[in-house]
Amino acid sequence: MSFVPGQPVTAVVQRIEIQKLRQGNNLILGFSIGGGIDQDPGQNPFSEDKTDKGIYVTRITSGGPADVAGLMMGDKIMQVNGWDMTMVTHDKARKRLTKKNEDVVRLLVTRKSLEEAVKHSMGGYPRP
Amino acid sequence: MFCRNQTARATVARGSALEMEIRRGKFRKSVFLDTSQDSDIQKKIDHEIRMRDGACKLLAACSQRDQALEAAKSLQTCSTRIMAYMSELQRMKEAQVMQKVTRRSSDAGPMDDRLPCKGKVAISDLRIPLMWKDTEYFKNKGELHRCAVFCLLQLGGEIFDTDMVIVDRTLTDICFDNTIVFSEASPGFELRVELYSCCSEDDYSAGSTPRKLASKLSSSLGRSAGKKLRAAMEPGPCSPVSNGGAAPLLLPVPSVPGPKYHLLAHTTLSLSHVQDSFRTHDLTISGNEECSYWLPLYGSMCCRLAAQPHCMTQQMMSGCLKVKQCGGDPQTWTKVYAVLKGTSLFCYHRQEDVEANIEPAFTIGINKETRIRASEKDPHSKVQNICISNQYGGEAVTHTLTTDSREDTHSWMEAFWQHFYDMSQWKQCCDDLMKIELPSPRKPAPVTPKQGSLYHEMVIESSDDLSSTVSDILARRMQELELRSQLGTSPTWMSVFEENNAKCAGRTRHCTSRLSGHSPCTPHRLPRSPASPHRCPQLGLLSSDASLTSDSDSHCSTSPCSHHHGWPEPSSNFSLLSSSPSRLRPRTLSLDAKLSTLRGRGYGGGGAFQCPCQPPPSSLLAPLPISSRSPRTQHSTQTTLSCSSSTSSNSSSNSEGSHSPESSEGVPFSRPSPARRSLRNLRARLDPRTWLQSQV
Repeated sequence: MSFVPGQPVTAVVQRIEIQKLRQGNNLILGFSIGGGIDQDPGQNPFSEDKTDKGIYVTRITSGGPADVAGLMMGDKIMQVNGWDMTMVTHDKARKRLTKKNEDVVRLLVTRKSLEEAVKHSMGGYPRP
Repeated sequence: MFCRNQTARATVARGSALEMEIRRGKFRKSVFLDTSQDSDIQKKIDHEIRMRDGACKLLAACSQRDQALEAAKSLQTCSTRIMAYMSELQRMKEAQVMQKVTRRSSDAGPMDDRLPCKGKVAISDLRIPLMWKDTEYFKNKGELHRCAVFCLLQLGGEIFDTDMVIVDRTLTDICFDNTIVFSEASPGFELRVELYSCCSEDDYSAGSTPRKLASKLSSSLGRSAGKKLRAAMEPGPCSPVSNGGAAPLLLPVPSVPGPKYHLLAHTTLSLSHVQDSFRTHDLTISGNEECSYWLPLYGSMCCRLAAQPHCMTQQMMSGCLKVKQCGGDPQTWTKVYAVLKGTSLFCYHRQEDVEANIEPAFTIGINKETRIRASEKDPHSKVQNICISNQYGGEAVTHTLTTDSREDTHSWMEAFWQHFYDMSQWKQCCDDLMKIELPSPRKPAPVTPKQGSLYHEMVIESSDDLSSTVSDILARRMQELELRSQLGTSPTWMSVFEENNAKCAGRTRHCTSRLSGHSPCTPHRLPRSPASPHRCPQLGLLSSDASLTSDSDSHCSTSPCSHHHGWPEPSSNFSLLSSSPSRLRPRTLSLDAKLSTLRGRGYGGGGAFQCPCQPPPSSLLAPLPISSRSPRTQHSTQTTLSCSSSTSSNSSSNSEGSHSPESSEGVPFSRPSPARRSLRNLRARLDPRTWLQSQV
């Protein structure tokens, strides 16, 4: 999804609630992220728009909490527990996901197939 | 000096008066003197030597880098402790010798000079800022040079080390969270802080330093203590020295191959640095940029150095007194139980109040401005009074104390003098009690989540056991490479244990077409996947818990199997596979790969097919057209897999060395189909060296 600076971003999102899994001393979610405003957006293989500096899911551990919750590789994370993830640094994104006092993260993620699905179901879905 | 006198005599004649005296003195000494102190130190030395031997063995045995670093750190600490104990032992023995000769009688006499009380010194929240070049820090490019660092703190005879921290250029400071408490420190203490670092990518090589250390130690003991003592007395049968003489036999520090720590910086802190808040101190840096263990230190260190002298925390004196306040209330004596502690004299009504934690009746301040003197002899009583004057605000308030006997008065005066002396020695520590947080016992070291990029997960170190590492990595790769359209959500890892499903239920449209044709074939090859949903049985879990290597079915049951996407024309595959019986026996996955790689080219087709026990499933990413399978895509999956860990075209830089020859082989491989190419590109583009990824 393209992003116009200054304009609100609209996207069709899916709510995904991930329960963190405790492994020893860590709480893990079971996926990897890439991207961030401090990273090179051209390297992102999942983004449509190569200037998109959002946070994308690059890898899902099979059977892990994220997998079970329905997160998919290539998803773009828009929000984590209410915090915006469209304009954050990579490290900030990581930190928002790995807070030790939170057992569950509620993500809003978007992916191309969602847009398509809405478009098909609504027929004549107005393009943003 | 004793030895000089003694050398004036050629020998001590047997049976001579001197010898008898010495012998007698020695015996008396051994009865009165604290040889228990001696044996304490000896025990400590023995303990440390055992620890050091253990660390050496561990170092020699361990294969993981982290373990090796930890073991090397313990080795360093033990060696330093041994050195400290040895020197203390030497000092004690020298003192003994001096005493034995110069004092015929064991009675040392009263000490004229006052000794200040000891105290606790605690150092916490050590933070050492680093000064990376901004290009290194922000761009995050290039090799991540890592060092393992830790601090060694020495005060008196106590040596402690902090936890080890791995430092790379993503850190701005080295932080040590430990709180180290030294219990018996005198006001003139010198706390030496040393920062040791070791390059984390070094080869393990034995250094020459330990040898020098060992030779120094052995020679120093032999030279000073041994000679003196031998000169002092004829080899007495029960001379305590002989124990010390035996020590050098244990001295030579074994030089073990392994990571070696080098001193990077040091500083010494003393009483003037003690404060109740954080302060910055300068570090003296040794080493320069050329050293492998170099880190760009900013040159200072922040920490909180607090001290609690015993006079502030313990009851220095307590007893019954009678107190009268001058000028205030009527001149009556109040009987109290007084406790001298810290900056006050607490006066309780009864002794029991102290334990009961009831508030004292009143408190008389004892601080630097207090004046205490013994007053003139009271004609009414036989004892002297003690007058304590304080300035409260602008007013001078005087309390008079009296006790029941002269000895009590004397001991109270003595206590006050000692207290004043302590306060003058401990200076700023006696203004207020500094808080020292005791480290909570048995706090497990928090495992910092691995921040490194995927690339670091992929690194296979030469010293590691190749088969287990590679199988771990491959298993993880397998998990991530799945069809996106898989939607099964039943507990995926449970399927690992379902061994009897020969048929794939084929829930997704991708599966059915393939699998139905394949069900008849070797059921044992699809032990679990079929019924299982397509999030493949937690191979990842398997590998993390137990090495894949022992799982004979694993190579068959991987997700790709379930969908057969990874399997090229099954018939051809199977025929080949069934023909190679070696396939069926439990074998390490990566060992297969390694073997086949080594003999790879020789095998040609045969060898290549052995590789497929590596989850070929790189194919499973993204909706890929299945139809374009050919036997050779099998190989290309190999190619893909190997490429996934490095840039696609450059096999030489492949970190998964076992696969690299495969990828570079053009001969047995066909031109990969477009689908495979896009997948390969995808994997290549997820190269963490160009685009940072973090695992959460």
